[in-house]
Amino acid sequence: MAEVDIITPVEKASRLLSRLDIDFYDVFASFSRNISVTILGRGVREAYSRVDVGIGVRVFKNKGMGVAFSQSLDDSDVETTVNRAVSFASIAQPDPYFKGLPAPSRAPEIPGLCDSEIVHLTLEDASRISREMIDASEEIRRGAMYFGGFSAVYGKGHLVTSTGVDVGVEKTSISAYLQPVYREGDDVGSSYEFDYSVSLRDIDPRWIGRKAAEKAIEQLGSKRVESGSLPLILLPESSSSLFSSLLVALSGEAAVKGRTFASNILGRQIGPENLEIVDDGTIPGAIASSTYDGEGVPKRPLKVVEKGKVLSFLHNSYSAGIMNVESTGHAIRGGYSGQVGAGPSNIRVKPGDEALDEIISETRRGILVASASFSPNMVSGEFSTTIDEGFLIEGGEKKHPVKNLMAGGHILDLFRNIETISKEGRTFGRGHFFPAVKIRDVKLSGK
Amino acid sequence: MRDLLELVVESGLKKGASFCEVRYFEERGSSVSVENGVAKILSSGILRGIGVRVIANKCWGFASTNVVTRESAERALIDAIGCARAITSHAGEEAKIVEVDPSVDFIKHDVKINPEDVGPEEKVKKALELERAAREFSDRVKDAFVVYRDVLTRVIVCNSFGTFVEEITPRTHISCRVIAREGDNMQEGYERVGCVAGYELIEGISVENFSLRAAKRAVSLLSAKPPPRGTYTVVVDPRVGGLFIHEAIGHNSEGDHVFSGGSIISDKLGQKIASDLVTIIDDPTIVGYGHFIYDHEGVRARPHIIIRDGVLVGFLHSLESAAKLGSKPEGSARAQSHHYPPIVRMSNTYLAPGDMTLEEILEDINAGIYLSGSQYGYVESEKGQFTCKVEEAWLIERGELTEHLRDVAISGLTLEALKNISAVGKDLRIEMPGMCGKAGQSMFVDAGAPHFRIDGIVVGGRR
Repeated sequence: MAEVDIITPVEKASRLLSRLDIDFYDVFASFSRNISVTILGRGVREAYSRVDVGIGVRVFKNKGMGVAFSQSLDDSDVETTVNRAVSFASIAQPDPYFKGLPAPSRAPEIPGLCDSEIVHLTLEDASRISREMIDASEEIRRGAMYFGGFSAVYGKGHLVTSTGVDVGVEKTSISAYLQPVYREGDDVGSSYEFDYSVSLRDIDPRWIGRKAAEKAIEQLGSKRVESGSLPLILLPESSSSLFSSLLVALSGEAAVKGRTFASNILGRQIGPENLEIVDDGTIPGAIASSTYDGEGVPKRPLKVVEKGKVLSFLHNSYSAGIMNVESTGHAIRGGYSGQVGAGPSNIRVKPGDEALDEIISETRRGILVASASFSPNMVSGEFSTTIDEGFLIEGGEKKHPVKNLMAGGHILDLFRNIETISKEGRTFGRGHFFPAVKIRDVKLSGK
Repeated sequence: MRDLLELVVESGLKKGASFCEVRYFEERGSSVSVENGVAKILSSGILRGIGVRVIANKCWGFASTNVVTRESAERALIDAIGCARAITSHAGEEAKIVEVDPSVDFIKHDVKINPEDVGPEEKVKKALELERAAREFSDRVKDAFVVYRDVLTRVIVCNSFGTFVEEITPRTHISCRVIAREGDNMQEGYERVGCVAGYELIEGISVENFSLRAAKRAVSLLSAKPPPRGTYTVVVDPRVGGLFIHEAIGHNSEGDHVFSGGSIISDKLGQKIASDLVTIIDDPTIVGYGHFIYDHEGVRARPHIIIRDGVLVGFLHSLESAAKLGSKPEGSARAQSHHYPPIVRMSNTYLAPGDMTLEEILEDINAGIYLSGSQYGYVESEKGQFTCKVEEAWLIERGELTEHLRDVAISGLTLEALKNISAVGKDLRIEMPGMCGKAGQSMFVDAGAPHFRIDGIVVGGRR
C-alpha cells in the first residue's frame, strides 16, 4: 500500500491558520496501516487490512477551544476542517486555566521505535504467526475452542503548532493474543496469554500458545470460597492494573483539579519504603516510548514514587500551567480526533527482594490473583472487582481455582497494605515492568 | 455512489470471490463540552470510507480505506481478496454464510429537529443551563460537566446477493456528570439520555429529570456507606436490570460466541435455563439508542426472542452464525465503521415485564440489597461469569429500603442467576443508552427491564 502524504495537508492547514486572528493552534495528521488476523472457534478466521488517515485541528481564541477533524486530506476538506475549528473557537468560552501551547524543544531521537520487519510484514506472515500460537496450544492439549488474534501496525504522524513545534513520529507495534476454552461437561477451563511490542522479534507465538493452554487447563475445577479477609498475591498481569491506575490518577487535568483519588497524595507516604515507581518514555525500543509527547515536548524519565512517597504528577502543558510548573512530557494525543490528555508511558516498578515461590509458600491462606482489574472509581478510589482468574492458597500451596469471588476496598488501602514485592516480574513491550505484590487483609465476598 | 459500490461487487465476483460485500460508511457529528459554567470545547468530525468483505478460497478477507474513489475501492477489494487467500493454508473452519433474498431499500429516520439545523450557540446555551442547575444544587458540588453530542450515520450496504440498502440514522445524546466533595470524600452522580432522535430530545429535557438528579445523587452518596459483603437477594432497578440482561445473557446469545465455543449456553437451545418468569428479547425495531431497520449486512431487522418463559429459544445472528447454527439471520450484524467487518451485536435488549409492583417484590425480603443505576459491566461469556457495577444501593430490611450504600458491584454465574430470578415487576423501562464494546468495536445499544429480584448474588463491598 502506497503511503499517504500527511505533511502537505498539515502545512496547508497551518498556512491557513497562520493568517487568521487566533491565539494558538495545532494541527496533527496521521497515517496508519494495520494488518490483523482474527482467531475464532477452531482456528484462523479472517484477515484484515486497514488504512486510516485523518487530520485534526485545535484552535484557541480568547482561551476558548474549537476542535475539528476529518478523515479526508483533500484540500477542500482540510479547509472546511480549519474553518469549523476556527468558528467553534470563537463560540467557546474562555477557559481561565489555559495558558498556551508549549514552545519547541529539540531532543535526541529515541532509537528502535520502528521495526522494518513489521513495516514489511505480509498477511501470510500474520496468518502463520497466528497458526503457530494455535499449534503450540494444541501440543499442550487438543480440542480447545479459541479466541484471539494478531495485529501489526505501522503508523506515522506529523504535528505543527503556532508556537513553532514541527515534529514527525513514526512507530510500529505488534500484539498477539490467544484464549483457549476447554470444556469438560459443564466445567469450563479458560484463560489467555498475550504479548505486545514494537519489534516482531520480541514476540514468541509458541510461548503465547503454550502458556495460554497451560493456564486454561489450570482453571478447570474452579470452586467458590467463603467471604473473609485474606491476603492477595497479585501476579504481574493484575498488579499492572493497580500501578497503572495510580499513575493515571496522578495525570493531567483531573489530578491537578482535585478530581481523582490521587489529587491530594503528593508528598504523602502511600506504600512501603521499598515501593519505587518510575515513568520512562525514553527507553529505546519500548512500547510506550517516543521522542516527543503529544504536544511536541521531549519525553524524559520521571520518578513518581520513591521510598513509598509520591513525588510528582504527570503533566501535559495544560495541567502544568495550572500548577505553574513545566510540562513533564506526558501529553497523550488521541490520534487525529483532536483530543489531548495526559497519562503514563512506560511504567517501571522496582522489584523487591523475595522470590514469588517463597511469597506463596509463606502464605497460610490467601488468594493468588492471575487476572483481575484493580482499577477503582477514579474519583473516590473505591473498587469492587471480580477475581476473574485466581487460586486459593492453603498451607503455602495452590489448592484450586476460584470462581464468583469479589474483592472490595479502597485502592490506597491496597498500596498501604503492600506486604511484599517480588524480585521477579514481567516486562511488557520492552518498557513496562511489574513485579508481583502481596497485599494483606483484602476484603473478599464469596459464598 | 451506487454505481461505484455495484462495480466493486461485480469486480469481486469476477476476481474469484464467492461472496462480496461493499459497505460505505459516513458519520458526521458535533459535540459541546461544558465544565463548571464554561463551554470549554466545541468540536466536530467527519468519518468516511469504504469497507470490503469477501469470501474467497472459502476464507474471509476484509479491507478498508478512508479514500472514497473508484481506484481506492478497487484497491481495497484486491487487498480483501489477498487477505482471504493469505490465510487459506492456515484457516480454521470454512467460511460460510446463509444465502438471503436481496433487499433494496432507502431508510431515513425522521426527526422533528435536525441537529445540523441547530446552531452551536443554541447547543451551548442549553448545555450551560443544564450544567448550571447541577452546579448550584449544593455547595458540596465540586464540579459539574455536561457533554452534548449528535451523530448522523449513513450506511450503504451493497452485496453480491443483489442487496442495496441505505440507512441514515440520527442519534442525539447528552450526559451530565457531577462530583460532590466533603473533606477527602468525593462521590459522583451521572445521568444520560440518548436515542435515535433529533434535537427535540434535548429540548424535552428539564433540569429536574436530568442534571439535578445527577447532582442529588452525587451529594447524597457522600453520606452513603459501603455495602456489606456476601451473598444476598438483590432487587434491581430498570437500569441495573438492563445491564444484567445485556451482560449475563445478551452476550451469551450472540451467534458468533455460540458457534465458536464462547458461550455458556451454546448447547442449551430448547432447554429450560431460567425461571418461568424470564422472557428476554432483543428488539432493534424499538426506537431506542440501539434502533435500526437494516443491519450492516443488509438484512431487515426483526425482534428476537432469546428466552421465552425460561426456555432458551433463539440466538442473535449474522449471515455467518445463521449458516453455522442452522438458523435464519434476522438482522443482528453491525460494524462500528467502514474499518470493521460486521459482527453479531445486541440492539435494545430487555426483560419482558411481569405483573408485580416494586412494593410486592420487596415485601418478603428480610435482608437484601436494592441496586440502582448502572455504571458498567462485563462478562466472561465462555465461563458465564458476569460483573455489574452500580451507582448506588440501599439495604433492604423487612421489605423496606433503609441504609444508603455506595460503591456496590455484583458478580454472578449466568446459569445460576437466571434460575434465581424470583419476582418480576410490571414497570419496564428501556433507558440505558450506551456503547457496547466487543472485539475492538464499539456500538450503539440500549437495554432495560422492569424491577426484578435475583436470589443468591455475590455483592462486593468493604464491610
